[in-house]
Amino acid sequence: METLNLLAMGFEQALTPEALMFCLLGVSLGTFIGVLPGIGSLTTIALCLPLTFHLEPLLGLIMLAGIFYGAQYGSSTASILLNVPGSAPAAITCLDGYPMSRQGRAGIALFMTTIASFIGGSFAILLLVFFAPVLANFAISFSAADYFSIMILALTAASTLSVGSPVKGLAMVTFGLLLGMVGTDINSGQFRFTFGIPALTDGINLVALAMGLFGVAEILNNLNEGKVPQAGQEAITLKNMMPTKDDWKAFRYSCMRGSLIGSFIGMLPGTGPTIATFMAYAGEKKLSHHPEKFGHGAVEGISAPEAANNASVQAAFIPTLTLGVPGDAIMAVMLGGLLVHGITPGPQLVTTDAALFWGVVASFWIGNVLLLILNLPMIGLWVKLLSIPYRFLFPAVLFLICIGVYSVNNNRVDVLLTLGFGVMGFFLNRHGFASAPLLLGFVLGPLIEENFRRALVLSDSSLATFVERPISLVFLVLTAILLVFSLWRKTGTTHSRSQAAP
Amino acid sequence: MYLRPLLTFVLTLLLTACGGENSGVAGDPASYPNKPVRVIIPFGPGGLADVTLRLAGEPLGELLGERLVMENRPGAGGVAATTTMLNADPDGHTLIVLTNGTTIAESLFEDLPYNITEELVPISAVAWFDLVLLVNPDSGYSDLQSLLAARGDDLRIATINPGSTQNLTAELFTSRAGMDSATIIPYRTTPDVLGALLRGEVDLAIDAYTALKGAIDNGQVRPVAVTGEVRNPAMPDVPIAAEAGVEDFVVTGWNALYARAGTDPAIIARLNSEIAAVLATGDIKARFSELGVEARGNTPEAMQQRLLDDIVKWRGVIQAAGIDTL
Repeated sequence: METLNLLAMGFEQALTPEALMFCLLGVSLGTFIGVLPGIGSLTTIALCLPLTFHLEPLLGLIMLAGIFYGAQYGSSTASILLNVPGSAPAAITCLDGYPMSRQGRAGIALFMTTIASFIGGSFAILLLVFFAPVLANFAISFSAADYFSIMILALTAASTLSVGSPVKGLAMVTFGLLLGMVGTDINSGQFRFTFGIPALTDGINLVALAMGLFGVAEILNNLNEGKVPQAGQEAITLKNMMPTKDDWKAFRYSCMRGSLIGSFIGMLPGTGPTIATFMAYAGEKKLSHHPEKFGHGAVEGISAPEAANNASVQAAFIPTLTLGVPGDAIMAVMLGGLLVHGITPGPQLVTTDAALFWGVVASFWIGNVLLLILNLPMIGLWVKLLSIPYRFLFPAVLFLICIGVYSVNNNRVDVLLTLGFGVMGFFLNRHGFASAPLLLGFVLGPLIEENFRRALVLSDSSLATFVERPISLVFLVLTAILLVFSLWRKTGTTHSRSQAAP
Repeated sequence: MYLRPLLTFVLTLLLTACGGENSGVAGDPASYPNKPVRVIIPFGPGGLADVTLRLAGEPLGELLGERLVMENRPGAGGVAATTTMLNADPDGHTLIVLTNGTTIAESLFEDLPYNITEELVPISAVAWFDLVLLVNPDSGYSDLQSLLAARGDDLRIATINPGSTQNLTAELFTSRAGMDSATIIPYRTTPDVLGALLRGEVDLAIDAYTALKGAIDNGQVRPVAVTGEVRNPAMPDVPIAAEAGVEDFVVTGWNALYARAGTDPAIIARLNSEIAAVLATGDIKARFSELGVEARGNTPEAMQQRLLDDIVKWRGVIQAAGIDTL
């Protein structure tokens, strides 16, 4: 009951005209930069941070947070329409979003991702409102061994990301793991695969890799085929934006599962939305009775990752606001903004700055509603993008990708890497090697290695630590079940196929 | 009739303007600054160097009469930032922030394509900050000596990545405290270090005071020593290392503004005195101390001496710890 009273106070704070204005400003800006390929919320938040020095802390935080979760709404738009993700987490949405678009179902895909984003975001906000302290303490109790086991589960699930040859999928995961090793080893400080190039000592930029493999490669592919994508040329009316009954059926549970996975991954510091979306997709494909539909416009393939994406960014606020432990670089920048105002997030924030805490939480939900209102009418407009002639559209997209990648670190090497990865991705795709497993291997590899070695240091080199810690054990058992299940299903299908053969 | 002299005049003006732009000659101190001043920050936004410089940059810009434009060039030991700096004209319109991290990079990266001690010249220090040694309050240890005595060779210290000021400070600490068998466990970020201490998987964490000020103020972690030469005014009860029983262990981080060598000394002097004025204002002092940072300038000579001393100091620590260099 008290929570509800406090929440009501929060809404009072967040519903003032100024607060609403900054919320709208934040989410609109967020949606916009989310749609643009490569330009991410980190850059935008960093640019806007100095502005908030002059604002009331509440207003500043509302705006910065709005940019953050607003960008997640926008980031799937370009994935669906152009096969060019707006951000790294949205890369997975390309797999089924773009085929939907090619089938003339772009409006439906955009409609469903917007709803999924809203549900995912709202779900995590509910967790934040009612269970934040409990969940934050739970999340922080995860040690290196637990992280290792979770990431192993994620990596195992990654095997499902590939369409076609499993060996090729495995090769790409391994390649991703290798690329993830480039840079400075966190445990020893050793430089690995840096070839004496200082720019590589910080590792390969995730945005450069994702934009190259998915964005630039797609553009090259279209140029090579010499044909204009003809999808979604018909006028968008409310009717052909409306999902069918079957769509809703597929949507319902996948969206819930995506929200759960996203919230869980999101509140673990140091993971991030890319892992959340990839895991949600892999999970859906594993659970589905029709895994063969994935990659050809399966609704579950867009709804689960999009719900997970928004759930994870909202859930990331749980440890940030309640423990002062920011989950990623973006959260750290926002904490920096609070520190400038002399506000220190932590267990006391909820009591000492109750108005701020609850005001921000309330603004999250208001922001999500604003995003829903903002995004649904925009769908028709976005789809019209496809009627722009290819020769104008794609140079513009390529240009935006370059700007976006450059803006992450103001680094020219990243732009060159993006173009290099684009050419690489083009050739890999042509020979049936999928990019998604590579990207997941890249994200997970360093986390797995780092946590494995740290777990061993902490346990005095005893491997038993991975089964002695309950959380770790649970995830290892899940991994084993997944492996057995895959093998069983595999032999099952081969069996039935051989039976069906004449 | 009058056209020709007029034309000559205009042409001369244009040539002077272009010449001044391209010749690389030091800017004219009398008209300095005549355009916004770029400040290159070798870190991402939101970090300590970024926030302190942005806070001080505003009043400094007002005193100079031109805006200061912050440009973040993070990564790779400041190589990207320094390269950008050295591509700018030595006219005082492009400045760079150096930190104690720069002095570490000097030893970590052996083949740097430049020599900061010769190609950059000091203007003034801007901010100074302490590192803190922290324990988990639930651990029961309230002072450093009882922790060291109880944990002995099993002592575990959490810091951020190898090669960071924090990590090398831990290396320096273990050697000065005679705890060479202690394990220094590197984590990726400061929040990870905090998490490790809160979970109790390490005994001690070493990080910048600013970064963990929130957790300290909230009582989530307990400081047992600061690394400064004197006690930190924000935590008068916390002893310095020597008082806590570890002699010859002093680390103070700093941020300083540097210009390209060849900049007119009058411009350096002007910037130095304006920075001193800014750092003396009550507002900046208060805002810096809210961040756990001390606002204090110095002379260019003192700054350069500090830079050179720190390069030697960290080179010794890096070699003793056997950290890989590029």
